[in-house]
Amino acid sequence: MSPPAAPCILLSPVGAFDGELLAAVGEEVRRVFGCETRILRLLEEVGFARDPVRGQLGSTPILERLAAACPPEALKVLALTEEDLFIPVFTYVFGEAQLGGRAAIVSTHRLGLAPGFPVAHAALCRRLLKEAVHELGHTFGLRHCPDAACLMHYCRSPRDVDRKGGELCRYCRILLNDALARAGR
Amino acid sequence: MAAARILVVDDELIMRESLARWLERDGHAVETAASGEEALARCRAARYEILLLDIKLEGMSGLEVLRRVKEDDPDAAVIMITAYGSIPTAIEAMKHGAADYLLKPFEPEELGVVIENLLRRQQQARETLYLRERVAEAARFENLIGQSPAMQEVFRLIADVAPTDAPVLIDGETGTGKGLAARAVHSLSARREGPFVAVHCAAIPETLMESELFGHRKGAFTDAKETKRGRLEMAHGGTLFLDEIGEVGMRTQIDLLRVLEDGVFYRVGGTQPLEADFRVVAATNLDLDRAVREGRFREDLFYRLNVVRITMPPLRRRKQDIPLLAEHFLRRYALEARRPIERIGRDALDAMMVHDWPGNVRELENAIERAVVVGKGPQIRAEDLPIGRPVPPAAPAVRLEEVEREHIRRVLDESGWNITRCARLLGIDRSTLYGKIRRYGLRKPS
Repeated sequence: MSPPAAPCILLSPVGAFDGELLAAVGEEVRRVFGCETRILRLLEEVGFARDPVRGQLGSTPILERLAAACPPEALKVLALTEEDLFIPVFTYVFGEAQLGGRAAIVSTHRLGLAPGFPVAHAALCRRLLKEAVHELGHTFGLRHCPDAACLMHYCRSPRDVDRKGGELCRYCRILLNDALARAGR
Repeated sequence: MAAARILVVDDELIMRESLARWLERDGHAVETAASGEEALARCRAARYEILLLDIKLEGMSGLEVLRRVKEDDPDAAVIMITAYGSIPTAIEAMKHGAADYLLKPFEPEELGVVIENLLRRQQQARETLYLRERVAEAARFENLIGQSPAMQEVFRLIADVAPTDAPVLIDGETGTGKGLAARAVHSLSARREGPFVAVHCAAIPETLMESELFGHRKGAFTDAKETKRGRLEMAHGGTLFLDEIGEVGMRTQIDLLRVLEDGVFYRVGGTQPLEADFRVVAATNLDLDRAVREGRFREDLFYRLNVVRITMPPLRRRKQDIPLLAEHFLRRYALEARRPIERIGRDALDAMMVHDWPGNVRELENAIERAVVVGKGPQIRAEDLPIGRPVPPAAPAVRLEEVEREHIRRVLDESGWNITRCARLLGIDRSTLYGKIRRYGLRKPS
């Protein structure tokens, strides 16, 4: 009998997604959370989440499907998409996560890929890494942090994302370590 | 931004759920209601710092909910949520006391800014109220009196623990004198010549708490125009009193734990270590053991604070102290008001002995103060007291809640539904009174 698989964080692309960015996110997740990562496409199609009027993807139904499809050995799942995301009360969101749950999603759409807002690939990558860790942080129970330099700080614009650092502040680091300890990491 | 208790009222499940989840990520405690009727029922059972209220609701309209909420609690902060076609209604809502309105769907940052501004205003008001109460309390140190075994045990514990430098955790209901016990610990300690510095943890937003506790260096952040000493530094050589410790957020809990473990701290933006030379006394009216079990309060910090526990008994469990306390307050207020009232009548004393005093000693003090003002003869009579008539011994047992409800209703009527005056007479703060008015469904007579 083979030994049980070690807990890992799944990275799940939704639709077409840049392979280089995906690899970079995997490396960053391993660095910050100390978990192995695995790439696995859990949702082949997301038409169920598309709002024909707004032309955006509703992030909440995607999270529900991801959490249901997530295999037991995976600690969390982070979906990545190039499409624009929304929740009903807001015009858009950079991403969404189940607070203390298993699933998170992040979009590159407003981080620099939107028409008219081209940014260099490296700059987009830096923004994506920060927001990916931010959304995954929520699944570990971390809430928005008032420290503008912390990865868990809520950013109102891509420029704000640029301004925040690449690390968790000491409070969020302690709270994350507590959560990882509880999860048996 | 400080965490707030928020009620989201929307008849569309998806709207209220997505809004609630978003607000939870900001650290708020969020509840939802699917109709105006449900919202009002929830408001009667609990107090919310902010209501996010959709204007278009099935059944009772958002405007009607707003009107009723403001009628019960003029300080309630209500943000109306409206669709494009309902802007005139939103403006109408502003005239009826809504704090702000949002046009949905809105940008995520708009919501954050509106809530942040509202909470900042509410917290400033709470801090002002707390400081006023502490000034009044400092002049009433002698109120910590009692001959009952329960109070004698408290005095013995204070006398035993005060000379040590051990942290003390004081718990007990509101109005039982936790702040006075903290002062007593300080006054009987070797640090009595040092300062007694109180921090009202519930009144300071968590974002400001770090700077408030530790101080900051000039230039540490945008608003740090000057170097400022924090409360920890001000408490040097004395006692640091952390009031309502159960209300502090996770970040502050982490900070406090570090100081208690390391014995040093730094101003925000500073590199020079400062010695933590103070004794910590914390107080709470919450069940902190439960908060630890539920993960809302760090266990490691709890054990650091809970070295010696003093539990202040409620007045209903030490009724033999009532005559002593009542005489004491009578002497003081008769002197202050220059009224020739010399004693407390038998019927008044009987009424006081059967009353349950939900507001504890503070309520008793306010009852006597009122009786001194309204009393006409040389003694205080039962009808001078803002409490219920004595219940005959043969009367059927009633639930404590029913007695409290009836008593609050009576004091409200007597004070003409003036919330500030009524809260003062009951010896509780206004927010507690609002909560009880809602819980018991009390309404101002039309």
